[in-house]
Amino acid sequence: MAIDLQYTPKQHALRAEARAWLEANVPREPLPSYDTAEGFEAHRHWETKLHSDRWSMVTWPQEYGGRGLDLIEWLIFEEEYYRVDAPGRVNQNGVFLFGPILMEYGTPEQKSRFLPRLASGADIWAQVWSEPQAGSDLAALRTTAIRDGDDYVINGHKIWSTRAVYADWGFGLFRTDGASERHRGLSYVVVPLRTPGVTVRGIPQLDGESGFAEIFFENARVPVANRIGDEGRGWSIAMATAGFERGLMLRSPARFQRTAQRLIELYRREELTRREQQTAPIDPGVAATVTQCWMDAEAYALSTYMTASRLIAGGSIGAEASLNKIFWSELDLSMHRAALAILGARAELRGLAGVEGVALAKAADEATRWMDGFLFSLAGPIYAGANEIQRNIIADRVLGMPKG
Amino acid sequence: MDFTFDEEQRLAAQSLRELLNDHCQGSDLRRAANARDLPSFEAACATRRARLAELGLAGALVPAEQGGLGLGVVDFVLLAEEAGRAALPEPLVDVEGVAHPLLATLGELGESTLQETLVGSALVLSAAPGTTVLANAAFAQYLLLSRRDDELALYRASDISLTHRESVDPLRRLSEVALHDAKPIARVTGATTSSAWQAARARSTVLNAAQLLGLGARMLEIAVAYSLERKQFGKAIGSNQAVKHALADVMVKLEFARPVVYAAAATLAPVRVAHAAVAAAEAADRAARAAIQVHGAMGYSWEVDLQFYAKRAWALAGLNGGRSAQFAAVHQSLLRGELEAQWA
Ligand SMILES: Cc1cc2nc3c(=O)[nH]c(=O)nc-3n(C[C@H](O)[C@H](O)[C@H](O)COP(=O)(O)OP(=O)(O)OC[C@H]3O[C@@H](n4cnc5c(N)ncnc54)[C@H](O)[C@@H]3O)c2cc1C
Repeated sequence: MAIDLQYTPKQHALRAEARAWLEANVPREPLPSYDTAEGFEAHRHWETKLHSDRWSMVTWPQEYGGRGLDLIEWLIFEEEYYRVDAPGRVNQNGVFLFGPILMEYGTPEQKSRFLPRLASGADIWAQVWSEPQAGSDLAALRTTAIRDGDDYVINGHKIWSTRAVYADWGFGLFRTDGASERHRGLSYVVVPLRTPGVTVRGIPQLDGESGFAEIFFENARVPVANRIGDEGRGWSIAMATAGFERGLMLRSPARFQRTAQRLIELYRREELTRREQQTAPIDPGVAATVTQCWMDAEAYALSTYMTASRLIAGGSIGAEASLNKIFWSELDLSMHRAALAILGARAELRGLAGVEGVALAKAADEATRWMDGFLFSLAGPIYAGANEIQRNIIADRVLGMPKG
Repeated sequence: MDFTFDEEQRLAAQSLRELLNDHCQGSDLRRAANARDLPSFEAACATRRARLAELGLAGALVPAEQGGLGLGVVDFVLLAEEAGRAALPEPLVDVEGVAHPLLATLGELGESTLQETLVGSALVLSAAPGTTVLANAAFAQYLLLSRRDDELALYRASDISLTHRESVDPLRRLSEVALHDAKPIARVTGATTSSAWQAARARSTVLNAAQLLGLGARMLEIAVAYSLERKQFGKAIGSNQAVKHALADVMVKLEFARPVVYAAAATLAPVRVAHAAVAAAEAADRAARAAIQVHGAMGYSWEVDLQFYAKRAWALAGLNGGRSAQFAAVHQSLLRGELEAQWA
């Protein structure tokens, strides 16, 4: 097979099917933020709906409620998903991170216990890796899960756990050997977040909403059956989460192509308005950034199609995970900064409440969306492995430069 | 949808790489760069030229019924990348990627010349309307030139006024081309001619972008190797994070230009082609700057081979309108509301 950038009839058919379903089912109005109690439940409901027609985890095998689609088909589905501005995936951790780990490392009992509820949105999952003293240096983590009969007794402090305020379960790394250090003696354990000994406290983010949380464990007991994989093997299982699909699936290109498209629309509308009102044109530097953003969003999409094709042909994902992380996070930031520059004095306007007159309300709405996106884009270079750490990985493992 | 090269495409690139590993090392380039005149330059390149001719790439993009291999640009893009990697002085890309298929569009009018150049007894190059300076014209027996987009004419090089000009790249032998009232040996006009020029420009732009990718990757390799070898403060300079991050950023630029170049080669869509030119030029420029910086004063000296790759990159980045014209082309599409994702 040589390079062929045309979709097959089967791929076109999948696109049409996804488009029809999404157009019929996507909520007419945007859902309230999932960082609120009400919004969380609305998003959970949406997950259940996706699941009921097997659109929730399209790459999962049929037996677990998926469609067994390959990565290119997944990209097509994602394109359709973002095309209609469908709701953010509150179930993202479960679908893309924990589910695949469970399928690979879980026992049959664990699979039947967790997978169906995960798939349907009945359980929403949070990641619990970071600790106050273990961020980039995750192996410095100290929270212990010490064996006591058929239970682990957990003590310690996790932090920055996205969606943990309302989520049902968490998966993460715990030190099952209290005397161990660094990567040894860690196990991959799942913990219910609403259980005695577990206290979840929301941490307000830059936008003021409690999008992440800290979790205190005080003699919290979970059965040994909550451990995924062998005791002491947690690090390598966790790295599998960080590696393969994550490097590709954490942020699908359609998300950025959609933002680029909105940015171009904003730019063109503003150009027109300024021409009509005979005010100064948009700064050429900003105009150039808009063009660059479109190019970069396309480059990211093409790169993902190339990686997906290679994986389908039996290849494996290597450095792409780190390259991708740097590229999309900087692109996202750049797009939002350009939008704010175009909005100018309107950029700081918040929300609709109490705003008189439709024109200003619309402007405030648009500004809020871009500003919220901008605030979130600032986190991109930090979460999922800070970009400095990704650069270290590229230099050390790909370019073969000496450890510092 | 399958964005992978096939076995044949990869093997062809592999064999070119092997050939160039043997015959286009820094020392080979240096010998040519130090040549005082044209004959000694040609002598320095003679073995490599002979080996290249044996590779069987003649007429790669010429239709099979005209004696070529009937391949597409996408089949040639990895070869162009290899030519870039090695800073190959020979105009493999300009001949096989651009001039030969253009000559083939002359049909019967260009047939005898095509037969001569396909067997390698003569060399043909082309310069799109508006070009005044052409690399390697001094080695050519035939030139495809025109003053206008709707005319394509084949000249004997000896009928054209060619004046030697220096390039910053010591391996690019430039000639200033003046048609005066030279008589073409074949000439066609009309709309198909404009589209032939347009296609030639697109091929040239994409394949130069591929060369820039190769050049960038080579400069990154050279910089990494030097960072391992050079010690300061008692350790390899490459163990410093500032150096690591600079080179990691080069790799990001290169790896996100790569799929754009390949997609441009596969589709030849104008916006993709322009995008490829911008992305590859930017990545190669970043690679050159970082690699020179990593070399310290060595990087500013004539002594290191790095200069050959950097200078080629700067030269290629200016062709076909250069990065700014290509960027403007993408921007114009944006203004016209033509830029959307395929699926939007
Ligand atoms: C929005 C958001 C959501 C998150 N969600 C989760 C979640 O769901 N679950 C979870 O467990 N965690 C989560 N995190 C935490 C995230 O994984 C950490 O923030 C990240 O690993 C960095 O750790 P840190 O914040 O402690 O920063 P630090 O490690 O303290 O780093 C601070 C700065 O120093 C730099 N730095 C550190 N070490 C080096 C080095 N060796 N070389 C060069 N520079 C270095 C970093 O790059 C960074 O810029 C989230 C974070 C954010 C912002």
